[in-house]
Amino acid sequence: MTASVSIQSVTQTYGAAIALNDVSLDIAAGEFVVLLGPSGCGKTTLLNLIGGFAEPVAGRILIGGRDMAGVGPAQRPTTTVFQDYALFPHMTLAQNVGFGLRMRGMGRDQRRAKAEEMLDLVGLPAKSDRRPHELSGGQRQRVALARALAVAPDVLLLDEPLGALDLKLRRAMQDELKAIQRRVGTTFVHVTHDQEEAMAIADRIVVMNAGKIADLGPPRQVYLHPQSLFSAAFMGEINQIPVQDGQSPFGPIAGATGTLLIRPEAIGLSGTLPLGPCRILDAAFFGTHLRAHVAPQAAPDLCLTVHLPPTSTITAGEVLTLAATDFVFLEA
Amino acid sequence: MRILSWVYLCLAYAFVFLPVVVLVVFSFQDGRLPVPPFHGFSLQWYEKILSDTGLMTALWHSALVAFISSALALVMGFLAAHALARVRLPGSVLLRGVLIAPMTVSYLIIALGLLTLFNQTGIKLSLWTAGIGHVVINLPLCFAMAYAAMGDHQKTAERAARDLGATEAQVLWLISAPMLAPALAAAFFLSVTFSWDEFIIAFLLTRFDVTLPVEIWSMLRSGLSPATNAVGSLVFLVSITAVVATEVFVLRRAK
Repeated sequence: MTASVSIQSVTQTYGAAIALNDVSLDIAAGEFVVLLGPSGCGKTTLLNLIGGFAEPVAGRILIGGRDMAGVGPAQRPTTTVFQDYALFPHMTLAQNVGFGLRMRGMGRDQRRAKAEEMLDLVGLPAKSDRRPHELSGGQRQRVALARALAVAPDVLLLDEPLGALDLKLRRAMQDELKAIQRRVGTTFVHVTHDQEEAMAIADRIVVMNAGKIADLGPPRQVYLHPQSLFSAAFMGEINQIPVQDGQSPFGPIAGATGTLLIRPEAIGLSGTLPLGPCRILDAAFFGTHLRAHVAPQAAPDLCLTVHLPPTSTITAGEVLTLAATDFVFLEA
Repeated sequence: MRILSWVYLCLAYAFVFLPVVVLVVFSFQDGRLPVPPFHGFSLQWYEKILSDTGLMTALWHSALVAFISSALALVMGFLAAHALARVRLPGSVLLRGVLIAPMTVSYLIIALGLLTLFNQTGIKLSLWTAGIGHVVINLPLCFAMAYAAMGDHQKTAERAARDLGATEAQVLWLISAPMLAPALAAAFFLSVTFSWDEFIIAFLLTRFDVTLPVEIWSMLRSGLSPATNAVGSLVFLVSITAVVATEVFVLRRAK
């Protein structure tokens, strides 16, 4: 019902283009892992390699300790939820969900019972005789999920499953996806380019860029303590301040030459790293916070983005003394 | 102006359908010649042809050839279309072109070519050889219609089926073919109508057992008779039925 996945030095190329460059990753059984990155970063390629839709040009993929080289999608203990659902339009929902069981030789009545149970699990009870075209996008996605889970795979692969849904529905489905994963205990490998989605559902986020893993860890760690400039910027807005030989504009930093990273919400009126007096360049109200651009007097060329409490009343031209509560230094 | 366009419409339809109407009307002629004046309504010619074993055998042969050759053309066309739509082959464009090319060749040339081939290889002319000829003319049609209907939508569904454990044969039979059913049905019924009233190939590639158009042709040699009109009307009825069946399937898909 669940298995670990081990990706060992996997490289994949498409002609001259390198889609994956010597990637290694270990996923524990029952873990919810999100592969996050911009389009073309190799996340979907990696998912296809795990699912058996392509074979890597170099490296090995093990599922539950078993080498998957030469094993096709049908024989792998994986199933996939596709972005466009890929439901069978000529079949009822029960037939769709029961398809994998039919391929495994299960009898009609048993199949039907199992399909209804799975539709129940994804929140679509009493719809088993409908056809896919009668459903909304969110409901179709649920059917696709039920169909992939019906055969009790060890690893479920999700290829941007929420990509086609509107924002509100996507946020609602995220919570549900997480809850379903907890209940079935299957290893989930989920691909997305939405960092909020990733943080909402993942046990561990794998940030990918240009065919390599740029960062990995629990959401909190990847967001607060990014291991690379790429993942720092991809996870959300961040201020990047150049540091030369341990000297930042705001005083000495333990370290050599590199970049000081400060999230906008980590800057306030008090903190451990004083930024000194800063001139407000502009400010805009965002509801949850007040977003301002400021120029510190210690480094007038810098423009920092700052999230202040929504109750603060500041105007452009004003000078405030600011400090950062949390920051990360990355050596160059 | 409005009236003129209606007149034009009526004339155009009259031009197209008058011959058929005349054919059908005089198949009910109570007399020996299918020419005006119309002497009165009679079903005697239908009675005559329906009791004519030679004609009825030919009709049965035509039906056999039409259905078997169309089914064969459909299966081959569908498989070829599926392969060329899914697998990247060297020279796919050329392969596609070659598959469709027989459409542009006249039936006479195809018949002569097959006749030479059968003579050379010592294959005896029969309903089978005529059927092979009809597969040759209908395969490009079936291929083109199936190929045009294949899209990415089916592609991901096929991928999902494979992922869930389906074999290639199961993917084709349980997913691809049902998803393309409207186009495949349309191709099949069009092929049936083409084979059903095809004459040149059937004439050149049959010998003792013949199809209906060939039988009608030999009837015509002994002069005009309302009996030929009656047979013609039957042929027309079958063709119309097949076309309506096609239309129903295509329309259902459009919904």
